[in-house]
Amino acid sequence: MIKHIARKEFTDVVRDGRFRWCAALVGALLLVSLGHGWVQARQAQEELAAAQATARDHWESQGEKNPHSAAHYGIYAFKPRLALSFVDEGVDPYTGTSVWLEAHRQNEFLMRPAQDATAAQRVGALTAAQVLQNLVPLLIILLTFGVLAGEREQGTLRQLLATGIGRRELAVGKALGVAGALMLLLVPAAVVGAAALVVGSTGPAASPLARGTVLAGVYLAYFAAFVGLGLAVSAWARSARTALVVLVGVWVVNGLVAPRAAVDLSKWIHPTPSAVEFAHTLEQEMAAGVEGIERPDRAAFSEGLLAEYGVERAEDLPVNEVGLYLQESEEFGNRIFDRNYGALWDTFERQGLVHEALAVAAPLLAVRTLSMGLAGTDVEQHRHFATAAETYRRDMMRQMNLDLAENSRTGELYLAGPELWADVPPLQYDAPTLGWVLGNRLLSLLVLGAWLAGAVLLAAKRVRLAEVA
Amino acid sequence: MSEVLTMDAPSASDAAAPVPVLEARGLSKRYGDTEAVTGLDLRVGPSEIYCLLGPNGAGKTTTIHLFLGFLEPTAGSVHVMGLDVAAAPLESKRRLAYIPEQVMLYRNLSGLENLEYFAALGGTGSLAPERLTDILVGAGLPRDAVGQRVSEYSKGMRQKVGIAIAIAKEAGALLLDEPTSGLDPQASNEFSELLERLRDRGVAVLMATHDLFRAKESGTRVGIMRHGRLVNEMSTDEIGHADLERIYLEHMHE
Repeated sequence: MIKHIARKEFTDVVRDGRFRWCAALVGALLLVSLGHGWVQARQAQEELAAAQATARDHWESQGEKNPHSAAHYGIYAFKPRLALSFVDEGVDPYTGTSVWLEAHRQNEFLMRPAQDATAAQRVGALTAAQVLQNLVPLLIILLTFGVLAGEREQGTLRQLLATGIGRRELAVGKALGVAGALMLLLVPAAVVGAAALVVGSTGPAASPLARGTVLAGVYLAYFAAFVGLGLAVSAWARSARTALVVLVGVWVVNGLVAPRAAVDLSKWIHPTPSAVEFAHTLEQEMAAGVEGIERPDRAAFSEGLLAEYGVERAEDLPVNEVGLYLQESEEFGNRIFDRNYGALWDTFERQGLVHEALAVAAPLLAVRTLSMGLAGTDVEQHRHFATAAETYRRDMMRQMNLDLAENSRTGELYLAGPELWADVPPLQYDAPTLGWVLGNRLLSLLVLGAWLAGAVLLAAKRVRLAEVA
Repeated sequence: MSEVLTMDAPSASDAAAPVPVLEARGLSKRYGDTEAVTGLDLRVGPSEIYCLLGPNGAGKTTTIHLFLGFLEPTAGSVHVMGLDVAAAPLESKRRLAYIPEQVMLYRNLSGLENLEYFAALGGTGSLAPERLTDILVGAGLPRDAVGQRVSEYSKGMRQKVGIAIAIAKEAGALLLDEPTSGLDPQASNEFSELLERLRDRGVAVLMATHDLFRAKESGTRVGIMRHGRLVNEMSTDEIGHADLERIYLEHMHE
């Protein structure tokens, strides 16, 4: 019985010229955005790899110089793009993908003002994620608003139910018919996406196929929730027109109002300083220290060192006092950075939690969070890379400072050579695992699951109570 | 399902001692203060065509909808082949066919596809396209229209597809709600012939209609409804056309 209903619904939809036009348009946009995203991601990854190699080459070929000069010369680290970033570029365009690692500073590319406004700015560019998150639900609305309301208006619902079919069978059959029609555009997109993953994955290994499979599951759950919602409203509404108006209203709230409101609300609940304020605070604390993190005093440090080695002059020390003091200063700076950046990242994390919780009002918020997470382009994975890059910077600075301290005496001119530069290992970045991503996104998974279950239950209830005429 | 069976299902051979295929017992339906149907007792046996006459708002369509389980009775009960419609809504619907005043079909499907769909849902199973075509042609649809999309059909053609749907279901009972409304005389005549063929196969027919002539010609019994009540019931063998019209008008002017 369900098979017959689904087949008829599918045939009816596919023969409808309005669906064909809309599906062709959305399908074309999806394929183009996937293709364009893939080309861009591949190009960006190649450029990043080339830039990383160039930066390394510059580092290794900087000639003889004092290790501290080399520490100031620094090196760029580039955030690799994960294979799925072509589907959802997430916050990458606003956070940047490179950071200059140098002495004394944790550079601020992570704190660009654009990061505060990602939701608003991302509306402009059409990515595959945006097509999937906004346009496919709109197509589902066009497919579902009339499935019951339209039948009731035309009088076919009365005849249909007079055959003796159950309302649950009717609802399931219609949902499957709509799903079948949707598959006409989703299956080609999924094939193109999978091919792009298999053929052209240039990013670091981070379970791209497993991530892709979960990503597909997330979007399917999202679409299924919309199908359920469409059925429920169509069963409830007095007319097809009313159903359409209500569903378009839901779409506007979900796709346009909620994302903007979520950004504003999360920022209002957990405010972050402006980039200027943040830089000013950092500068002040680096200059004077704060309670509990005292700026090292050069004279006291020297005295301590002389006492430790039992000598009276710095020149008599078996180590270079300057190298050790530089490291002491570096560690002071690290504590200041940890305090300020840690607080900022934690605030972003709390904003993210508010954002995820607000998904109870709009499933798009949950899907967007999961989509960026699985594509490896969310704030958390940016933080993951930033932390790895900062750890690398600190190790590198320590190596430079200790080399200076251990291989020279205070007051000597000391120059290190290519052996030291080559001894600094390149940054090896391991992207987070799928388990890490999903573990961070449990709330979004739960909310999306609740939306799906709620939509199915609501559809079942409304179809059961639907008036025949 | 056996617990809701209150009597054996009838067959054409039971005509001598008819068991009601369709039965209403003390049936009432109220909408707020309005009594749409009040205390209706009605029995339609096999091979019987029962015509419900009455003006608009008399309760004819409400009665049909109560038999279909689209509405819940305020009091009383309705039974299809012994099944209480309230207790077994789906099973009872599978035992009857229904043709509304305006047969509405899926415009993007052909007449054949519509019939195939409704027949499958009605529990007939998958019938061969040739068999379905024969049913459509037998119901009066031109053979060359069978494969055309319904969006190109006239009202009469849609009505014939509706009849074909009812025939294909091979149900023991047929509910008709003003089925000839808007049909031209020839189509209306063909429809009456079809009804007679179904009656000869033992089908019980309950038809709500305004058409006194058609009721007298095709019906075996006639019931007159007014303000939700069955005010008269008679066999069409006992009266002539003029008598029926006179009796009907008398009730309308009471």
